[in-house]
This record gives sequence, structure tokens and C-alpha cells, in this order.
Amino acid sequence: MKGLLLIALVSFSLTAAFGQSGGNRNGNKKKKNVSYMTKDRMQREENKFLEKQWWLGLKGGTNLTKAIVTTHFSGVSPTNYPVREAFKEYEDFKSYGSQVTLEGTFYFRQLSLSLQPTYSRSKFVYANHYAWSDPEIAGNSLELHYSQAQKTEHLVIPLLVRYDITATRLRPFIQAGAFAALLINAGKEVTISGTDYASGGEHEFTGDPIIVGASDLFAPVYYGLMGGVGAHYHQGNVRLSLDIAYRYGLTNIVSPSNRYGNDRLAGVGDAMDDMTMDNIVISVGCVFPLRFLGNAYKAVDNK
Amino acid sequence: MYRRILRYIWLLPTLVMLIASCVEETTPQLEEEKFTRLYDDDRFNESITPIDVAQTADGGFLVLAKRRLPESHFTGIYLMKVNSRGEFESAQELDPQYVNPVGELMPADGNHYFFCMDELTVQSYLVRVSESLEDISIDPVQAGLSYPSAASLQGNEFLLLSYDHVEKLSVLSRVRPDGSVAASQGFDIGVGDDVEEPIINHFIGGGKRFPFLTGRIPGGAYFFNGFYNYTFSLVFTDMSDGDPSGVVQGQQDDGGFSAVTPIASTKFAAARFNFGDNFLLPNVVLQPNSITSSVDYPGNTLPELVPNATVKILRTVIDGTPTLVFASDTKSKQIALLFYDEATGALLGSHYLGFSNPFEVASVISTEDEGLLVCGTAYLAGRFPRICLFKLPKEELTEKVR
Repeated sequence: MKGLLLIALVSFSLTAAFGQSGGNRNGNKKKKNVSYMTKDRMQREENKFLEKQWWLGLKGGTNLTKAIVTTHFSGVSPTNYPVREAFKEYEDFKSYGSQVTLEGTFYFRQLSLSLQPTYSRSKFVYANHYAWSDPEIAGNSLELHYSQAQKTEHLVIPLLVRYDITATRLRPFIQAGAFAALLINAGKEVTISGTDYASGGEHEFTGDPIIVGASDLFAPVYYGLMGGVGAHYHQGNVRLSLDIAYRYGLTNIVSPSNRYGNDRLAGVGDAMDDMTMDNIVISVGCVFPLRFLGNAYKAVDNK
Repeated sequence: MYRRILRYIWLLPTLVMLIASCVEETTPQLEEEKFTRLYDDDRFNESITPIDVAQTADGGFLVLAKRRLPESHFTGIYLMKVNSRGEFESAQELDPQYVNPVGELMPADGNHYFFCMDELTVQSYLVRVSESLEDISIDPVQAGLSYPSAASLQGNEFLLLSYDHVEKLSVLSRVRPDGSVAASQGFDIGVGDDVEEPIINHFIGGGKRFPFLTGRIPGGAYFFNGFYNYTFSLVFTDMSDGDPSGVVQGQQDDGGFSAVTPIASTKFAAARFNFGDNFLLPNVVLQPNSITSSVDYPGNTLPELVPNATVKILRTVIDGTPTLVFASDTKSKQIALLFYDEATGALLGSHYLGFSNPFEVASVISTEDEGLLVCGTAYLAGRFPRICLFKLPKEELTEKVR
């Protein structure tokens, strides 16, 4: 279903873009016969046209995630060693996710208001390490490592204000705004590995991963701020874009009421920390104007 | 322009309030309602197996456990205090001179009490523990009772079952919190080493464990689950002499009751074992004044339970319904909770705790917030016995019994 939707959106975008290009070609043919005064009037109309415009497009790319712990929780409670040793170790901005965005932008004199609903898949990993040893017999030792990968799917709805720094064919821009992220799905994969020194030698082992659906463990919605830089390149009527944004989570992504709700995870001592989630989001895409062009219009903003 | 902005400015706080209402926040109440905790000790050779748990006045929990003593055949005493969220606060390992801790963990005088024994003399001791674990006193029980096996709180006294290895008697005693004995009565286990052997094996490490217990029918006879007349039996007595008023005989040491909770004069909730099989009897009539056999009470067979399973029974009220909670160990190494209607004995629901690591039940109690706390053993990494606590909220229990 998601694939079909994506194909439909891409097809629509391409059809619209090429449709407008054709219109321009026809317009070019007719423009050859117009007078200087008419040309000047058309240029003014063009500029007026460019001052206010709706853009619609599609973009996609990759993202990296960092989880920021606000309160530590653990299903394992140490009784004879510091609690800190049971804290999780997070991998920051190491696991790649992906996203696809439908962009709708209203442009007015280098300022834009942009709504960019995004289907975003993110991944972050944390690990716990436990060890049992005997100070009198060095061989009596066991180390265990729990690697836990969280995979989340959110519908992120950002509302951004964008400023085009220049009004040239290649337009760098800055943008900032806020977003709400609605949880679609989530899963966890726990891989247990370790080294056993007590069973007759040094034996490294890795167990089969525990894979569970974990939607209940995450908050149904979280909010944040977003900012970034990028550039548009005008090609015909289409704007090609590259942007890098930072999504800064403000609210908890975890559902506290379900922290211990998954028995399989609780059984291995896992309890998710309260945390916010930041993402570095890199996207490429293209947008096209929604207000269709008159015959005289050659190209959008071809300065 | 500004007027237009001002006209819609009220939308901003409305939006902020809407967003704030959707934000997931941790509250102390949430953390107290439901938690799962595995209490780790990083010593390779340490073995900590819980016996009982009790809620303290501050909303926290006190856990009584036994621990392996490398230099002894008996198990040592381990106490742990956690707060209302299950977070570890403190632990005490008592002097290894004192061994064989015996539940229940009984509240009295703002403290908690349990029995243990001296490693060398095997004489019973009464341990008084303050809720913070800062004040612990260990005093001998008068009358020289040996091998304490089970105890329960009956009014202001403790009902203690012990074993007299000299006279070969199961001894039921009423012990006051100061350690004095109000009444005591012995019951002959029979003659011969074969009869005594399983009892001694129960106390030393590695031997078969028996579900010794004591109790009292409300306003009626006392009872104990222990050895009498060559069999592991449920014995009723008024403690006036050594002849029981009634007995439910087991099958020597291969059958008998694994748990008994009195409901009314002759109505009980019970569980029994018989050559490895387990039977739950949520609504059974036992005659305290006659001699019967445990096999006379068929019960619900539960093949999912481990052979001769430990069973704990809790009387509680869930969603307004008097409910019996049976907790036991499954072959898949989970803790099974089975909910029965106290009035009819009908099964209301079930719940299973623990995955990935092996788990065994030790105790189940009701909590102040009408939830349940299940205390058990978690074998971390599949091999290290440690204490675990599962706190279940009232709402979840309600769903289970509907």
C-alpha cells in the first residue's frame, strides 16, 4: 500500500512537471512574435507570478538518530555495584533510517511557509553490559552484552518557515519550524552475546535475537523543533532541492505507562529510559509550481 | 494586520495546551503502579533465592531470601529493602551463624519477623527487622524448638512449625513476638531413619523441598502441613494434645498438599501434588475432624506446571470480586498466575510472567494500591539465582478477571 502511494505520488509529480515544460515550449514559440512593450509587460507579469506561488513536490533521503536520555530507568537493579553500571550506552547518529516527504510550500517574496508531512523510519541502538566474576577464581567469570535496536516509524508533520537567501537559479535557503510526530509502528530487536570463561575455556557466544513489536512502548505522539539549510536549483519549471535539517525532539518519545508492558523485554531486564529523539535528516527532491503558467511564461524565475 | 493577528492570538495557548495534553510524562504514580525488577549481584558464586515479601509502611517492600553459604550445608539469610518503585535501597546479609530463614515475613509492632536457626545447635531464633533494615535483632525462641520449618501470623502470635529431631516430632507452637512460647504440641512422625531422612534433606542444600506451612481456620482449629505418622499430611489440631482432630494424609513423601488457604470453616483453597502431578482445588471442602486422603480431592490438573510445583495462594479482591490467585512455576520456566472466583471456584483468567530468563515463584501479595506484587527467583543469564519483583496494577488485574 505504501509502495503504491509512493509510485502514485512520483508519477503525479513527473506528469505535472513535464506537462508544464510542454506548456513553456509552446509559450516560447509564441513569444518570438511579440513586441518589446508586450515583452516588458509579460516580464512584469512573470515577476508578479513569481512573487506568490504554491509549490508541491516530493523528496526523500536518509536520517541519523540520537536518543537523549532525560531519566534513566532499568529493569535490572544492581545490589552490590553502582547503579550507573546498569545504565545503557547509546550509539549517537550511527544507525541510518530513511524518510519520504510530500512538500507543500507557499512562496512569497523569498519567504516560504512549508508543510512537509514525512514518513520517517528511524533507528537507534543502545547496549547494556553485565559481568559476573569471582575474585578468588579468575576463571569464574561471565560477560553478557545486550544490544537493543529500536526501529520506529513516524508520520512527522513539520511546519517550516523558509527564507531564500538569494533569488538566483541556485537558491540557498535556511528554514526553521516545529513538528509533531505521530507514531505509526515500532519494533525492538535484542541480541544477546557474551563470553563465558567458566565452562572450560573462553567461549564467545551469540544468541538468536529477540524481535518484538514495541509500538506500545513508544509515545503515540511527540513534538519538536526543526531547522536546516539547503538549496534549490531551478531546472525548467522544476526546482531540484537538497536540504539538511536537524529535528530536535522536545518531548518524551517513550510511553511511561507501558515501560514494563512487554514481558519478553522485561524478562531480560529492559526498561526504556525517558528520552527525546534528535535526527539529522538529509533529503533530495523536486518541487513544481501549482499555479499553472500562462502561454507567455517561459520558466519560473530563470534569472 | 496587527488586529488580525490579535484576533487569532488565542489560538496559540490553545495549541500549546493541546500539545501539552498529548505529551507522555513519567509520574511517580505510574512508576509505582507497574514495574519489573531483576536485582542483580555481580558475584559469580552468589545464589540468592527469595522466600517472602511484605509491603512496608512507606509503600516499599521488604524481601526475605536465602543465600548460598560456601562453608555450610544450610542456607544463609539475605534481606533486601526496595522503595515503592521497586528501586533497590539496601540489603543485609546476616551473620552466617544464623541459617535456614523461614517465611512468612510477618508484620507486628511496626517491624517484621521471621524465624531462622543456629547453624550448630539447630535451635530456632526469632528475627525482628525494622522496615529500613537498620535495626535487626536475633533472639532465641524459648523452649528450645529446633529446625523451624514454617510460620504464619495468627493474631498477635506466630504459629511456628518445627521439627524435633530428638523426639522425632513435628512441633506446632504459638510464639509471641518476644520469643516466648504460649503453647506447643508435638506430633509423632513415626519411627525409623527413612521417615526422618526427607525432613533433614529439606533443610540441607540440594534436598527435596517440602511445602511446610501453618495456619488457622478463622475462629477454629489450627493446622500444619508437615510430617505426621509416616506421611506428609495436613494436620488439624486444637493444640490440646498430640492427637490431631483431623488429618488429610499424603502419600508418604510423594504426595500431599502444596498449598492450603482456609476460606471458611470447612471451605478451603488448596493445591496438592501426587507423584509429580499437580492439582489445584480453588473450592474444596476439607473435614478438620476426620481422617481422609489427599487423593480423595481430585482438583484441576495442570500439566503445564513443573512436577511437584511450588504453589502460592492469595486471597484478594479484584474489581469487587473476591478472588483467589494461584501462583506457580511452569515447565517453560515462567510464573503462572491463575485467577479463580472465590465463591464458585471458576477460573476467571490467567497471566504469565517472565520470558527469556527462567523464573520461579516465591510469594505473591496484595499491595496498598490494590495491585499485586509477585516475588520470585530470576535466573540471570540462565544460571544466577536472583530476586525479581513483578508489580501488576489494579487495572491490569481487572482486565484479567473480566
